[in-house]
This record gives sequence, structure tokens and C-alpha cells, in this order.
Amino acid sequence: MKKYVFRRLCTGFLAVAVVFVLNFFIIKAAPGSPVEILAGRDNPSQQLIDNLNEKYGFNQPLYIQLVKYVSNILKGDLGDSIIYNENILKIIMDKMGTSLLLTLTAIIFAVIIGTAAGLFSATHQRGIVDKVFTSTSYILNSMPSFWLAIMFIMVFATHLGWFPTSGYSDIRHTYTGIRHVLDVMHHLFLPVLTMTLLQLPIYFKIAKSSVIQVLSEDFITTFKATGMNKKKIYNKYVFRNAILPIITVFGISLAFVITGSVLVETVFSWPGTGRVMMNAIMNRDYPLIMGIYLILSLSISIMMLLVDLVYAYIDPRIRNSYK
Amino acid sequence: MSKILELKNVSIKYKSNKKEVLAADNISFSVEQGQSVGIVGESGSGKSTLAMGILRLLPENTSELTGEILFKGQDITKLSDEEFNALRWVELSVVFQKAMNTLSPIHKIGEQFLDIYRVHDTTSSNEEIFKNINEMLKLVNLNERVLKLYPHELSGGMLQRVSIALGLMHKPSLIVLDESTTALDVVTQGQILDEIKKLEQTLKMTRIMITHDMAVVASSCENVIVLYAGRLMEFGKVKDVIKNPKHPYTVGLLNSYPTLRGEKNNLKGIEGTLPDLSKRFAGCIFADRCPHSSEKCFKAVPKQKTLEDGRIISCYLYE
Repeated sequence: MKKYVFRRLCTGFLAVAVVFVLNFFIIKAAPGSPVEILAGRDNPSQQLIDNLNEKYGFNQPLYIQLVKYVSNILKGDLGDSIIYNENILKIIMDKMGTSLLLTLTAIIFAVIIGTAAGLFSATHQRGIVDKVFTSTSYILNSMPSFWLAIMFIMVFATHLGWFPTSGYSDIRHTYTGIRHVLDVMHHLFLPVLTMTLLQLPIYFKIAKSSVIQVLSEDFITTFKATGMNKKKIYNKYVFRNAILPIITVFGISLAFVITGSVLVETVFSWPGTGRVMMNAIMNRDYPLIMGIYLILSLSISIMMLLVDLVYAYIDPRIRNSYK
Repeated sequence: MSKILELKNVSIKYKSNKKEVLAADNISFSVEQGQSVGIVGESGSGKSTLAMGILRLLPENTSELTGEILFKGQDITKLSDEEFNALRWVELSVVFQKAMNTLSPIHKIGEQFLDIYRVHDTTSSNEEIFKNINEMLKLVNLNERVLKLYPHELSGGMLQRVSIALGLMHKPSLIVLDESTTALDVVTQGQILDEIKKLEQTLKMTRIMITHDMAVVASSCENVIVLYAGRLMEFGKVKDVIKNPKHPYTVGLLNSYPTLRGEKNNLKGIEGTLPDLSKRFAGCIFADRCPHSSEKCFKAVPKQKTLEDGRIISCYLYE
């Protein structure tokens, strides 16, 4: 098992390195550069452009830029953002908390509600509730996130005035303590609702199909034949066998938590990493984009390893194959 | 000798999308205590359906069973689910075809044995239960070490023994073996059959053996039921039916097996294929493929007749 974890860490590191180098060249290959944006579009001065290129080292050959960048990263320095002129790690850390609050809350709700609905549908197939759940999941699945977000703002914020239209907290007040928490929750409601509704169908469908599949397994017939009561069969044998695919999807979604959701954060003006990433891309803020992607690829490879370890913990067949 | 199981006019229908399939039609026979019965027939003849019907394991929404099933004189089709559950495993047990999937793949075998034992015994201590379980494992020549393993860590033959030990756990009076030895090689199959026959003596158990292998029935059962397309063709003592088959279908079925001794003959199959059971047939369902069929075979279903040697047959040749 230790050997397996070590091997996985090595391959994970390799994957991150490859992603890192690829990203570096892809971003450089994209048209436009941060210098053009800093120098201004209307009447840029060639001298300013040359100076900026000199300052950020963009006039050097690409491979030298890469080597310099990598050596800084190995020292733990992600560099400064060109647009914000601030340390990148600090920018990401500042915004990560709000992103985590939004996406993590939404994912947890989606997993719990989606899985519960899936289990219910699977055990009450073709019933009225199953039909309602399944068709709702189709509708939600085909809805674009920004559209749903805008509809919620129109109905619940503009029209009914129940919730604020955007932001993380009320900037006209400086609440503290419990009042602040309530204020943030008030702002959090609509974006979390949007994200939860959009993630629900994924967990619903996986939970439903997984339970249906387990129920058709021969060992379920064995337990029925022994006279074991349904509750025990479900609680102990059906659910644990059915949970495996849900864990995979949950793990993958968790990996993306730190980058937040670009669309939902943009529509609700939620100050999270999603919007930072969006701005970085629009402004060709090379070091910031690289920093975010580096952290994203690291978190994905760590989450995948964790998912595999949880899998191994639950499923002995997988555990054996790791030996 | 008393009747342990008696089926009276049992029919089983599968319903799907406006289509009804009559998988078992008006089947009646009885099983005497200690007189093991083999049910043979080709794939799709309704062998397993009939067994699952007796054990109340048919899919609930899509099947329908009519008729009476008397177990030790009591009609078990009338029992509530709770009452029937109380009979399961203690009185009526089963060993399934696919031993590989008989148990949950992610729970230890011992844990599952304990859970299943506990269904019908809530008072004994774990030590007492494992003492009994170990005894059963010894009967099927397994080391108690298997309890600490997961199903995928055992070979097919070992898992088959595990399922048999599981089925015998509460010393049931009737056990159904549904193709339980089909997947095994002949040597292991022979060993397990010998073990089961010995167990029958010690546990006073009656066995219903579902198989398409005549040799298995010939070597381990007293009586045999020949099913075709959900209909009972012939029922009688193994030695009578195999030595001297009367029903044209039984004759055809036996001709499809090679013999070790005697002349070299080309194997004869039965012409044609199984009929579509969603259609209704006015006459004998085998008439289509029967070499002896005459006009009346297509008009009305032949009645069941009991011949002198006790065998039951439904064919116009013996009216």
C-alpha cells in the first residue's frame, strides 16, 4: 500500500509537471499580452512597451523564461501578478476562502440531496416521485448556469427583493459577529442555490443507476432468499456497494472547488478565485494564470489519489490490486 | 413417507409491456421426504422460474403465480411475507447458480455468514454461531480461514462450497440447487455431489436439483421431472425414465447426450427451437417438434396420465 501511494505521488508529480509546461506554452501562444494591456490600447508608447517587456523578461527566448519561472517556483515563489501587482499566492489565498464557501457548500448540498433523491427513485422505480425527480433532473441538466443565475436574480432579488443581487456582504455596513455571518449567508443563498441545482442531476443520475445496478446483482437475491429484512439489506449491502461511483464524482468536483465557478461567481459578483481566473485570462496575466493552474492541477492529482485511497478502503478488490 | 412438497396446478406468468409469457403452465407434482428430485429441460424450459416461484423469489411487479404450493401440508402461497420469511433458510433454502456473485464482493465472507445466521437466530452468542458455521464449512471440506477472506479471493470451486455451506447453515428440510454444480469441472462436481448426498443422510434433507445435465440427475436423484417450454412432459423414477423414456421429448433429450459404452452413434438433437411462450397453444406444446405428432396433438392438450410404474406423462401416445 505504501509503495502504491509513493508510486501514485510520483506519477501525480509527473502529470503536474507536464500540465505546467504545456500551460506555459499554450498561454504564451495565445494572442495578446499583458504588456499591451498595461501600455493602453489607444495610444501605446513603444518605449513603455519595450521597458515593460524588459521588466518582465518577455523579450528573452521562451525556454529561458520557462527555466527562470521554474526555478522561482521550486523556491516556493509563484511571482507577482502583472495586473494586480501583488504576490500571486496571496491573491489566491485571499479569494480561495470565499470560493470554498460557495462551491463546497453547494457540492455538499448537491451530494446529499442528489444521492438521497437517486436512492429514492431507484427503490421506487416508475412511481410518481421517480418520474418527477427524473424529469426535473433532465430540465436542470439542460439549463445553462448563467441563465439560471440571472433568472434567480430577476425573481428573488429584483422582483421580490428577498435576497441581495450580488456580492459577498453588505458593503454599506460593517457587521461583526453573528450579524456578519447572517449577512454573508443572506448573500450566499442565491449563488449556492444555483450551483446546487446545477450539480444535483449529476449525483441523482449516478446514485439512481448505481443502486439499480446493485439491486440487480445476484447477491441481493441471496439475501432475500435468506429472509433478511429489506432494511438490513439496503443499509448494509446495497448502499455500500452503490456508493463507489458517487465517491469518484464527488472527488473530481472537490478538486475543482478551489477555482470556484467562473460563471456563477461572475453573475453574482462573488469575490472568489473563479473571477480572479477570469480576469487573469482576459488580461493575459501570465504568472497569475500559471499560478492558478498549478494549484488546480496539484489539487486534482491529490484529490484523485485520495479518491483511490477511499475506494481501496471500501472495496477490497481494489485494495488487493494495489498490493 | 410423507410429502414434503406438493405443487397443484402451478402456473407462472411474466408480464411485460402488454405481453404475457406463460413460463410455467399448470404444473403438478409432489416430492416425498428424502426422495431427491431432478428437474431437467433445455434452457428456457422454465426450470429456474419454477424453483424461484416455489421460493417466492420471482420479480414482484412483473410476475404472477397461481395454483397451490403445499410445503409440509401448508399452502405457502397464502402466507404473508413475514410468515414466509420465517420459513426461509430454516426450512426452505437454496444454492444459486453463479457462486461468484452469491455474496457481496465488499464484505468479508465471515461477516455475511454471521449476518445471515443472525436472521433466524438472535439469541446465540457469536462464538456459538461460528462454532456451527465452522461445522458446516468442515462438511464441505473448507478451512475456516475462508471466513476472513473476501469472495474474490476464493476460486470458483471454493465459492461453490461456500454457497453450499451457506445454504445448509440452518439445516433446512428442503434445499434447491439451481445449476449449482454446472460451472464446476467434472471432478469437483462429483466430489461436491458425493458430499451433498452424504449430508442429506445426516441432515435429513430433501433436494431439488435443477440442471440440464442428465448425468448429474442420473447419479444423484431418485426422481426426475422433464420440463419443456414450461410444461411438465414426464415425471418418474430416474431409473425408469432414463432407461426407458416414454415421452417423445424425453427420448429426444436423452438422444442428445453421448454414452460411454455401447455402439458409436451419431448424436441426435431435436429439430426446431423452443416455441414463443407469449403465444397461446391449443394443443401439445411439443407437437411442432415431435416426430410422432398427429392431428389431435395440435387440437387439445393431452391429459396427464399415471402409468403403471408410477410415472406421470402427458402425451397422446399413452392414452
